[in-house]
Amino acid sequence: MANRSEVVSADIERRRREEAEADSAEIDRTPVRTYWQLVRGRFLQNRLAVFGLGVIGVLALYAIIIPSVTDEAWRTTQLFRDDAPPELFTEDGKFVFAVLGYNENGVNLFARLAKATQTSLLIGLAAVAIIMGIGIFIGSIAGYVGGWIDNILMRVVDIVLSLPGLFVILMITAFFGAGNVWVIIFAIGLTGWTTAARLLRAEFLSLREVDYVQAARALGAPPQRIILRHMLPPAMAPIVVAATLGIADSVVVEASLSFLGFGLGGESASLGTMLQGALSYFFSGPLKVIYPGVVLILIVLAASFLGDGLRDALDPRQRVEAK
Amino acid sequence: MTATARHVGPLLEVKGLRTQFFTQDGVVKAVDDVTFEIGHGQTLGVVGESGCGKSITSLSVMRLIDRPGKIVAGEILLNGDNLLAMKEDAMRDVRGDQVSMIFQEPMTSLNPVYTCGDQIAEAVQQHTAVSRREAWDRAVEMLRIVGIPDAKRRATEHPHQLSGGMRQRVMIAMALSTDPDLLIADEPTTALDVTIQAQILEVMRDLREKNRMAIMLITHDLGVVAEMADEVVVMYAGKVVERADVRTVFGSPHHPYTKGLLLSIPRLDERVERLEVIKGTVPSPLNLPSGCLFKRRCPYRMRVCDTAPPYQEVQPGHFSRCWLTPAGEPPDVGADAEGPEAEQAADALTVAPR
Repeated sequence: MANRSEVVSADIERRRREEAEADSAEIDRTPVRTYWQLVRGRFLQNRLAVFGLGVIGVLALYAIIIPSVTDEAWRTTQLFRDDAPPELFTEDGKFVFAVLGYNENGVNLFARLAKATQTSLLIGLAAVAIIMGIGIFIGSIAGYVGGWIDNILMRVVDIVLSLPGLFVILMITAFFGAGNVWVIIFAIGLTGWTTAARLLRAEFLSLREVDYVQAARALGAPPQRIILRHMLPPAMAPIVVAATLGIADSVVVEASLSFLGFGLGGESASLGTMLQGALSYFFSGPLKVIYPGVVLILIVLAASFLGDGLRDALDPRQRVEAK
Repeated sequence: MTATARHVGPLLEVKGLRTQFFTQDGVVKAVDDVTFEIGHGQTLGVVGESGCGKSITSLSVMRLIDRPGKIVAGEILLNGDNLLAMKEDAMRDVRGDQVSMIFQEPMTSLNPVYTCGDQIAEAVQQHTAVSRREAWDRAVEMLRIVGIPDAKRRATEHPHQLSGGMRQRVMIAMALSTDPDLLIADEPTTALDVTIQAQILEVMRDLREKNRMAIMLITHDLGVVAEMADEVVVMYAGKVVERADVRTVFGSPHHPYTKGLLLSIPRLDERVERLEVIKGTVPSPLNLPSGCLFKRRCPYRMRVCDTAPPYQEVQPGHFSRCWLTPAGEPPDVGADAEGPEAEQAADALTVAPR
């Protein structure tokens, strides 16, 4: 018996060596595209998504560069420049970048809009970071552990969901003091995480039964590794979409808050405060409403295009179509 | 594994294992009082129809039974340590290190978003303190050992770029990368075509001899069992109905179910008009018959079969759960009884109509 098996394994050994030699000589070496190359290919094919990314990029650059270049212009009132027309240089030859003119208090609108965009984008991104943090944490625990823990967490989600979001946010800002950007971010984050948690839980419930997750368990991988390495990445597609839409949502919520007068005070500039301030001049100077309105619409549209594009691009089951 | 304190006796002992699923429709006894053992370097074949509890037995050994399932009784001793008494942390160190498992579906058992080498290296790093680089080298080496050509390049490829047979080899490479004492192979060749099957079996046999690794081979393919196993356990509706070494099972099976299974294999060397089949279907686990679980389908059915048959040792080392005597005769029940009891006994001997 042993003799025979030795012969057999020697035989196998020899055949393998031959195979290996033959293979290294004539193996099909078509280039292999990595996952991220595929993602980029798919993303670039989606025109709307590229448009969305471009718009967000331009707005972000605008919101970062202009306020730092124009310094305090976004809140400097000038007595005799109320509703002054657009200009690039003042009469004494100073470069001011006031391409959108001045508002009723003589503040450079272009600079103020940039600052407002900055505030709004900051609120959007930071709120989404909180939303995703809580949502992913709760959702993955509920989906992975299941049982009564899942039950309790989902009831908490139901409770949060049943509260009227805007009023909770109003309460929080009233309690911790309105006018602080971080209070608003915190308030939006605390009320907005339910969708992400539900999405992730649903994904996890089905992923838990997937063979490679079972295989990872059978190989002795601990839960945190299974979640982080084997369950989160394939569940990311809907989460990414929820996150990009969440940016748009948070920007809108902040705008509505400020518009109602419960958001940032008149001191600071956000799209909402600009809209609110401009409302009284709706008929005399409608452009003052339109500028922040357009930026708001652009952010929301671009974010949802971007989200759709990312969802399609990140899906590992999709392939790049041949032209 | 280092042989510091080697346990004397079999590698794996499963004693009186009961795994049940508590569903809304009732309790499903998926594994009911199963006992077997596997020695070092031995191969045990676990055979049976779909739904007879083979896979649940293997998942129980790994302690991977999820709600609503639960292991309600029994002992699983690996090198003398009871796995069922272990903490989850300790169990995690057993999984993949001492006991590895390969699954039926090579197509879905690998994560599609990581390269094959990555996934093997992950398993290596899980159980041994090696650097990323060393784990990767080990992964490539394992791929070479299981016979994947151009292993270095294949390690950098994703599962979808490999064929089914190659993927199963990757799974085997992953399971064996930590030198386990026991490999549980749950239908490792079912999803593969015949030529690939033979190659995979060859790889497994080869590695078994090199590493002195025991294999628990779960399959419904008796051909694979005949080729690989030393001992065979035949399961039916959650119970072990026959257990013997491989020659006995194929040469002189005792239990009618085993006989039926053997008769239903197509043979190339005999010309038969029609293939024998076991009539009927496996009873629903929620509605098991009283007495012998196989009685509704059994050609030898007797009155005594309404009471649960004994698990008798028909020959040394050959167990069967059937009323038939070791010689295969109907049992001599109540022969010295009188009156109505004697009548009953006489009845018991006649084969009841279907």
